[in-house]
Amino acid sequence: MGPANVVDNLTMAVEEGEIFGFLGPNGAGKTTTIKMLLGIIYPTSGEAFVLGKEIGDMNVHRVISYLPERPYYYEHMTGLELLKFYGSLFGLSDLEKYKSLLEKVNLHNDMHKPLSQYSKGMQQRVGLAQSLLNDPKLLFLDEPTAGLDPIAHTEIRDLILQFRDEGRTVFISSHELSEVERICDRVAIINRGKLERMGRLDDLLKGARVEIIAEGVTREAADKLKVGDSTVSHHDGRVIIDMSETEDTNAVIDGIRGANGKIVSVVPRRRRLEDLFVETVRTAPSATGAESK
Amino acid sequence: MRVILSIAATSVGEAIRRRVLLVILLAGLLLLSILPGLSVLSARGEAANLVSTMYFVLQGTSVLIAIVLAVYMIPNEIERRTIYVILSKPVTRWQFLLGKYLGAVFAVGLMMGLMTIVALVLFWISQRPDAGRLAQLAQGPFMFFVQMCLLAAVTIFFSTFVSPLVNFFLSVGMYLMGTTLNSLYDSFVKNPDVNPLVRLAGQAVTTVLPNFSYYNVSNPLIHPEVEIQNPLTYYVNVTGYGVIYIMGLLIAGILIFDRREV
Amino acid sequence: MGVAMKKLVVWIAVLAIVQGALSNIVVRPRYARDFAPKSTREGGQLPSELIFLQFFGFREFLAGMLWVRADEFFERGNYDAILPIIRLVTWLDPHYIDVYATGMWHLGYNFTDEESRSDRRYIPFALALGEEGAANNPTTYEMFFETGWMWFHKIDDDYHKAIEWFLRANERPDILPARRNLLAVAYQRAGQIDEALNWYFKLLRDAEERLAKHKEYTFRMNRDTIEGNVDNTLVRMAQRGHFAMQRNDGSYETGAYDTRPPFDVGFSARIMVEEPLVIRVEGTWNVLPVGTRIRMVLRDADYEFGVPAGMVWDHAKDVNLDPPTDLTFMQDSLYVKNRRFSRRIDLSKDPTMYPFSKKTYILEFYYNPRSAPAHMQDKFGWSGEGMTDRNFLDTKIREGQRVMYCKLEMTQDQILRRGEWFDRTPVIKTTNFVPPRAGASPEGEVIIVPGLRAGAAKEGGPAPTGGQGGNGGPIATGVANP
Repeated sequence: MGPANVVDNLTMAVEEGEIFGFLGPNGAGKTTTIKMLLGIIYPTSGEAFVLGKEIGDMNVHRVISYLPERPYYYEHMTGLELLKFYGSLFGLSDLEKYKSLLEKVNLHNDMHKPLSQYSKGMQQRVGLAQSLLNDPKLLFLDEPTAGLDPIAHTEIRDLILQFRDEGRTVFISSHELSEVERICDRVAIINRGKLERMGRLDDLLKGARVEIIAEGVTREAADKLKVGDSTVSHHDGRVIIDMSETEDTNAVIDGIRGANGKIVSVVPRRRRLEDLFVETVRTAPSATGAESK
Repeated sequence: MRVILSIAATSVGEAIRRRVLLVILLAGLLLLSILPGLSVLSARGEAANLVSTMYFVLQGTSVLIAIVLAVYMIPNEIERRTIYVILSKPVTRWQFLLGKYLGAVFAVGLMMGLMTIVALVLFWISQRPDAGRLAQLAQGPFMFFVQMCLLAAVTIFFSTFVSPLVNFFLSVGMYLMGTTLNSLYDSFVKNPDVNPLVRLAGQAVTTVLPNFSYYNVSNPLIHPEVEIQNPLTYYVNVTGYGVIYIMGLLIAGILIFDRREV
Repeated sequence: MGVAMKKLVVWIAVLAIVQGALSNIVVRPRYARDFAPKSTREGGQLPSELIFLQFFGFREFLAGMLWVRADEFFERGNYDAILPIIRLVTWLDPHYIDVYATGMWHLGYNFTDEESRSDRRYIPFALALGEEGAANNPTTYEMFFETGWMWFHKIDDDYHKAIEWFLRANERPDILPARRNLLAVAYQRAGQIDEALNWYFKLLRDAEERLAKHKEYTFRMNRDTIEGNVDNTLVRMAQRGHFAMQRNDGSYETGAYDTRPPFDVGFSARIMVEEPLVIRVEGTWNVLPVGTRIRMVLRDADYEFGVPAGMVWDHAKDVNLDPPTDLTFMQDSLYVKNRRFSRRIDLSKDPTMYPFSKKTYILEFYYNPRSAPAHMQDKFGWSGEGMTDRNFLDTKIREGQRVMYCKLEMTQDQILRRGEWFDRTPVIKTTNFVPPRAGASPEGEVIIVPGLRAGAAKEGGPAPTGGQGGNGGPIATGVANP
């Protein structure tokens, strides 16, 4: 078995001050891409720039930070000691700053506990605290909410939004599509190392649908109500019409009434990121060139 | 330098909490403590017996500690991904490797220091020597420490490109070879019947491989009647040899580690 | 590869060269000289079979335990089992002086106890062990002394070798005062009488200085002993004519010294091979006072290291505990009683010790006054000037000495009673041998042993004028104590 391209001809750009979502299935190459940007591993070909400098530039490392997926820290250290250690790598020794960072991530009361006693959420928060030590312009967060309970989710999400408000750029790699949809400005979807889609969420999630449910409409009458790419289905004596929001929904409603039907519900449905993701991944060509289902 | 020392300090903190190392250290200390009682079994002079067995335990325990400690220094960081956070900071790979090496050396030094103190105290209780003799006996462990620095460098070098298990056996093998090759080489180099090519090959091998036997200076320390002219010069020379070899190993390790995918 | 990387590679090469040079030129020779455990004389390092011993830091402990085991073998009389232990213990711990010394004694003495065994094959190895022990422990006197003692007492020949070793022992500051005297006796055995006296005077001066600083009983005893030795030596020198002026032809001035006229010891011998490998040796020695031991050597005629009445004892360069089993060398002593000697020697007990695998053998009888007790030397002198034998006096085989030396030849068939000797008793004898008559009283002139005498020289003898000592000063003025 020969070498495989983990990241294949990936070209993308992240704008300053945005929260950028980097999505893809398992093994797509997300973590590999992040590692390359951080200079932890080296690209086979091509070039990459972070904050205008080539990857691996130590001056850039002074103003970026990284929170890895499932981070593991030195268990014998307390939260405060961990920040002291990482701070020393920047040449910092501001104890008050460390304490204020821990307060920011709501770990002020636990700063003297060893990390071995931290819960998953606490570990993630101390990870965020260490990522802020150097007041970074750019943060790389790899699965920041993985494995967290809903409350911790919310806390982390709020912190990330706060980062953007502070003018920082946040690069998030995540499987939590609902979270990404909530907080990201732009996203990129990669699959098998290739970039499949990239753009603003609003643009990517255009093409909403409307769902009309009615009773007392005969099949023949319902078939006549089809417009455009709408679909008509029947279930439990009800007719369900799924149509694009660009079509004339009022005409369809009038048609139902004209057929002596009764409107049960009219529900506009925005396109979801999950749908986009699944659609993108499934329609992407497979490694052998055939389309994947 | 600050970065290197920070990484070293963290490594020391981690190392002294590793159970397997603490178990080895404890075993060494226990062995040391029973040695004064064992010397009555032998017809040899008690002091010579005690010093030689103490040095043996000290050296053997230190070898194990040094190898076990250094073998996992870098692989642990990679496995637990703590290295990613560090390398995302303004820390170059060579700073990281050097920091880990220094951490290993400091940790080994701490443990060896503890064992040496215990050994000297036990010797003092058993033999009541004067301070000069105690100071003289401390020379042996000091040379062992330099030896362990060299061994740790060998292990760290191997850890940049082989797995911990392979590294363990490689390091043990390297230590065994480096301890015996000198004697083996000297036992046949003076034999006129040996093929010149074999002699040359032997010299090349003993020159290239690190020579750990240079640091076994215990003979004149066990037998103080053996007079050595100016041992300090030898200690300086052999420490210099060790430092130069360590530098070479670390630079080679940096070269390999710099391009290694973590 | 980037420029920085290339620089690093160059650095590695430079460091490799520097460490190689430092290792080979500076460190290794120094380590081999000062810090490597010494084990053998040649080569300087352990044999390759024992390379594993490098890992046993408690070599000294192991050595001690093995030596405890050796003691058990000593108790049981299993002398052969001790040999490998001696070698192994001294390899493990080259500074274990007790083992070197005991090993030397064991090799040199326990195989030649002259009752059941007279195996001199191990003496060269004993000497090699002693030399190795001295090389490995150069700062202490012990092994130098022990090696000298082996030459002086066991080999009882080549006394200049004993002197060499005793001199080296005396250079070491830790030599016991009581052991320093032996050098003087060794000088006398070597015929260097002036040097012996000078050494006694030096010891006396040192003893006086020591006593002046520490007025202790043992130091006083030591001083008195040395003083007595000086007195006795002076008397002997006077009585034996040592102070007499020598003529150019080597003869003494006329004078009635104890050594004049030389006494004819009248040696004769007969050897009968009573059974295969069993010989009876008998003969005459016209010296009535007790104290004569005549050396007898029976060896291969072409024995590689053989010299008249002995061998090159220090021919072994290594401690090889596996002596040759195809060579025969037997040395024994014949004690004279009532002017006769008779001894039955059984050579059949150990075929590896006396294989008798060659065709021809020589049988030597040897007597040197240098080894004689003092009362005999008072007559014979240090160099045999007071001794003669009309048939067997020899002045060549030992330089500057008059000795009795008789050499006979035997064949393998005679010793093994084979061939023509199967049913005939081989008898080899000197031409002057006369079998003793039963009941006969001692015949011939009886030797008068002079003994030490107080007082002036005998009448008729010139007063000795005193010669020069080794350090340029007078040896003595006047004769012995009044």
